[in-house]
Amino acid sequence: MPVQSLQKTDVIVPQHAPHPLLPFLQSQSQTTLTRLYQRPSSCLSIFRLLGPIERQLIMNLLWLESALSAATMSAWVLPEGKNAYDSALAVMTGLHIAQNSAVKLALNPTFKSSLRQAITGGGNTGSFGVPADNSARRQSANIENLDAYALERWETILHYMVSSGQGQNPTKPSQGVLYLLQRSGLMNNAHGAALQITSSGFQFLLHSPHDQLWNLLLQYLHMAEERQMDLVEVLSFLFMLSTMDLGREYSTEPLSETQKAMLEDLRDYGLVWQRKTSSKRFSPTRLATTLTSSSPSLPSSHSTGGSRTADSTGAVALSSGTVQQGFIVLETNYRIYAYTDNPLQTAVLNLFITMKYRFPNLVVGMLTRESVRKALGNGISADQIISYLTTHAHPQMRKNNPLLPVTVQDQIRLWELERNRLKSAEGYLYKDFASQADYEYVLAYAKQLDVVLWENAAKRCFFGTLEGHANVRGFIERRTGSA
Amino acid sequence: MNRRPIVGTYSCSDSAVKQILLTMNEKDPFVIEDLDDYHLVIKADEEYRVRRELEAELEKNTYSLETN
Repeated sequence: MPVQSLQKTDVIVPQHAPHPLLPFLQSQSQTTLTRLYQRPSSCLSIFRLLGPIERQLIMNLLWLESALSAATMSAWVLPEGKNAYDSALAVMTGLHIAQNSAVKLALNPTFKSSLRQAITGGGNTGSFGVPADNSARRQSANIENLDAYALERWETILHYMVSSGQGQNPTKPSQGVLYLLQRSGLMNNAHGAALQITSSGFQFLLHSPHDQLWNLLLQYLHMAEERQMDLVEVLSFLFMLSTMDLGREYSTEPLSETQKAMLEDLRDYGLVWQRKTSSKRFSPTRLATTLTSSSPSLPSSHSTGGSRTADSTGAVALSSGTVQQGFIVLETNYRIYAYTDNPLQTAVLNLFITMKYRFPNLVVGMLTRESVRKALGNGISADQIISYLTTHAHPQMRKNNPLLPVTVQDQIRLWELERNRLKSAEGYLYKDFASQADYEYVLAYAKQLDVVLWENAAKRCFFGTLEGHANVRGFIERRTGSA
Repeated sequence: MNRRPIVGTYSCSDSAVKQILLTMNEKDPFVIEDLDDYHLVIKADEEYRVRRELEAELEKNTYSLETN
């Protein structure tokens, strides 16, 4: 079996950041996971979430009937790649995909048969969604409408987050969404009844749509158990959505009760579209079909006749790793020109920029000390601002090396450091030691506990933390008691 | 052996900020002990007020080019 052995170059390649869903899956029990693996679409989706090494290992083991000796497998691994190999195996065992004893290596049989079914297209479990029959009297939604719907739903949520508490009155998303935002700590009602965005909410806004979506879905999964929804049903429905075709309608008949209840929530997040609540068919939007892929989740909302080469599976080729076309130009005089008419992007920029002028297709502003300090006060970090500007930089900016002017980057960081000139910690100051030996003895004990913040041998005093105080005081009292 | 540990907030800053704090202290005492060039011990409940006043003081030294 030709296998590309793990060479040194593979280890230097930037580590595939593990998908945020994986720790959640690893915390589930083996029975839950095995039930999940009964559905081929779930297996395929989880397969797509894993890193390249795990995927290669799974493919190697997939078509073997009996277990493979662990020694045979590790013989293919070069010494440099040993760590990567071990961590990949650990991930797979954590997910109960591989059963790893010291001697033999085999795939979980349920996972194995389901993944084989997924690849070879066998079985009729309907786990990839049952398409609705084409006897529709009304026309099904086409891709543009689905994209517009998903964009509108998603941006309503984000826009509500950005402009809450700033005197504007944006359209409110549904109650379920508001509850989810509150539970995930992105908003809270600090001052009275209205929801206000929190600092983690601000950081959330600067992430890519894919990360934002998974953040919310993970929160939804955590809440699923409290709402007495079967976690396996919820997860398998999400995975089923991620393997569906964009633009095709699917029937709601084979869905379980839990999954039908989920349809309403997913409509609010913009993941599926239904003509009306009681409709027997639904269509996934691009947000749903790109859940486990690396394609952009939302069409670039300001494509100036550019790259919208969507085919029916919704897979748009990634261009140089940016999700949307960049639109921000940052000059060395701290001026920002943002070629956008999207109110959400304007609102996000308003978080850390002082707006100057606004035109139909252009927004002009400046990075000022006040605006950046306001953002820093709201919990956004300098690195986040810089990475947001980098990610959304206009293609013209790529002529510069480095991308953003160094002066501006440094100044943003300096403004952040300005706020941290005074650091403090609570604790107790120990002084008035009778003798040097006493002082050193107690100091040694405190150092052992790692609670010393500051010491001065000349003045014979030191400062210890609040948590360590009880121990140190006990120690001193034992000494005075015995002395 | 009299060993009564003093409770307080330990603050670490650069020496310029420390001098500003000592000046503020003359108007409204909050410093319990002066440790060395960079550290002070101040009363725990005064910490918030002290930070606000310090920020206000430092703002006086900044200059911004906002014409409109």
